Amino acid sequence: MAELVKLTIDGHEVSVPKGTTILEAAKQIDTLVPHYCYHPGLSSPAMCRLCLVEVEGAPKPLPSCVTTVTEGQVVKTQSEEALGHRKGVLEFYLVNHPLDCPICDMSGECDLQDYVHLEGRKHGRGIEPKRVFGRDDFGGDVLFYGDRCVMCTRCVRFMNEVEQDECLTVVERGNRSVIDTFFDEGLEGTHWHGNVVDICPVGALVSKDFLYKARAWDLDHTPSVCASCSQGCNVLLHTRDNLVHRVKPRENLDVNAWWMCDHGRLDYEWMNVGDRLEAPLVRGNEGTRTAKSWKDALADLLERASALDDKSVRAVASARASNEDLGALAELVGAFGGGETVFRSPRAEEEIVLKGFPTLARRTDLAPNVKGAGLLGMKRVGADDATGGLESVAGHSGIVVVLGDALADQPEDFGSKAGLYIYLGTHDSAAAQAAHVVLPITTHAEQEGTFTNHEGRVQRFWPALEAPGMARPAWLILGALDAELTGEAGPQTAAEAFAELSEAIPALGGLTYEDLGTRGAVAGTKGAVVGTQGAPAGAAAQAARG
Amino acid sequence: MSISVKVMQRPEPETTSYLRAALSGMALTFRHMINPVKVTQQYPEEQTQLSPRWRGTHVMEMHADGRPKCVACGLCPTVCPANCIRLVGGEDDQGNRYPIVYEIDEFRCIFCGMCQEVCPVEAIHVGQHFENAEYTRDRFVYDLDRLMEQDHPSTNLWDPSDPTGE
Repeated sequence: MAELVKLTIDGHEVSVPKGTTILEAAKQIDTLVPHYCYHPGLSSPAMCRLCLVEVEGAPKPLPSCVTTVTEGQVVKTQSEEALGHRKGVLEFYLVNHPLDCPICDMSGECDLQDYVHLEGRKHGRGIEPKRVFGRDDFGGDVLFYGDRCVMCTRCVRFMNEVEQDECLTVVERGNRSVIDTFFDEGLEGTHWHGNVVDICPVGALVSKDFLYKARAWDLDHTPSVCASCSQGCNVLLHTRDNLVHRVKPRENLDVNAWWMCDHGRLDYEWMNVGDRLEAPLVRGNEGTRTAKSWKDALADLLERASALDDKSVRAVASARASNEDLGALAELVGAFGGGETVFRSPRAEEEIVLKGFPTLARRTDLAPNVKGAGLLGMKRVGADDATGGLESVAGHSGIVVVLGDALADQPEDFGSKAGLYIYLGTHDSAAAQAAHVVLPITTHAEQEGTFTNHEGRVQRFWPALEAPGMARPAWLILGALDAELTGEAGPQTAAEAFAELSEAIPALGGLTYEDLGTRGAVAGTKGAVVGTQGAPAGAAAQAARG
Repeated sequence: MSISVKVMQRPEPETTSYLRAALSGMALTFRHMINPVKVTQQYPEEQTQLSPRWRGTHVMEMHADGRPKCVACGLCPTVCPANCIRLVGGEDDQGNRYPIVYEIDEFRCIFCGMCQEVCPVEAIHVGQHFENAEYTRDRFVYDLDRLMEQDHPSTNLWDPSDPTGE
């Protein structure tokens, strides 16, 4: 335990570890001192001069982002002097910042907008023309509007310190200084540059993908987990009109800190794809499919199952399905008569590590729940592009269950020899033509559940979109079938489904949704102190630089 | 207790002549013949003079080259209390922000004029117009082209020479 220092901020007594900055200490009393250049994940150059606070005994106002606390210090963040200094600094920012909020993508989540509204002057006094730089394409997904830049250099420091690929720099001096790339070498080809858009406090760096698509205040934010690799970055899905419009990282120092890769950031359109399966389809004897209610479809399925002689199961799962879905599938396979469950998952050639935060990388497994499927005893088959490997399933004569795998590489007669072929999917597939029952399921963006990431951390995600038609979470469907077969009550909520699963799987160690919270917990560590929450990476980075 | 009937003494009607009232009525009629007071408006031959602050169906202002002035900032759908504006923004071929979809449901609109008040580029206006008749209901959802076609004058919600009302 570090030595504690006592100080007074705005009349409140605060105890913080030695070496904490005033800005971080003020967060303990829910006071956010306005700032641009400071970011907890980066070094602090104290160059924006906006976080000035009054410290008793100091001759001048001090920048709170680099001033460390001392014993008995009396800090005033809201005194007339401090407010006056910040008001002056904000007015300087508006000397050149254009008032183009109506067409700026950052409008509504812009720090300059917020701070000027809170603490700035009501009316501008400037009469001189503003300097104009225009728009610049930085390559990759980033556009640069030089006029809006407040020269906080967060983007430059991110590329230098965190990504450690010095692509951006400040050129020119004084009033003419501007962020630029080196000649024609832009951000194209770097894998983490989307983060500079997130950390830009104003609308100077904007995403091309999101350009003009929606206003910040129209978007609903749902906490979720990135499903693009097995790292399991904590993200927010920004949705409007039942569509995902962008993905933003959610702070979790144990997994991804404040960052996420561009691969995951731009991989969201699949959640918006229409043409979904919307009702259970039951195949009649002459081969035509009929849409039926859930009750009729499941009754039909159970009737077929009970008439079978060979009740051995071959199941194909997906590493994109949640733990609850996979657990319910395992239960059902057991209830039918046991069998083998396999899954296929694409694999990238190499990891893309974020050098400044080496525990974060775009992992080689390009599916979120490879570890979870492994913990449930499912076997990985097929090639690195998630094809092949299903020969034993395709010609199986007992029960074939497919969960979430689109079987894009499989022929139309897949499973045609099966006594009962159940296909659970979001979209119809050529290889599902022989299925006796096709059941519509939800994507992870439409249901509650958990993924287990590459290090065994179980993390929750929440539903961001409404499921189309009669689509239901797979754990609910499989749980209901299992309940019919065994006579036990099936799970009614995702929390129940997960609790049942973690009882059954010793590796999960009896975790519940309460244990997981919003930041997840490593499987098998229930009761132990989990994670390293608290030590800001930026402080560590700064200490390392001396 | 027995019921008794009280016979009321009704006053006899006055025996004045109707002639005086008839003559005064006729006098009024003839006075209007000579010096008519115009109350009735001969609508639709004669059009009503609307107040400059009359708030009717919308008008979208245009640039000289025919582009809408709207920059798709999203303030009007945000402020609209009746939730009748649908807006999808996008980027045009010159890199400007513009509305790909801009629709106002005039049936839902309550003509409060807040869209005009909030517009930072003076693009959307409520108009001095009240004659709206269509054969189908969906014709009352005005899209961007329809809003730009409207040729009636837009409303002055405030005096242009004194915009802050001082």
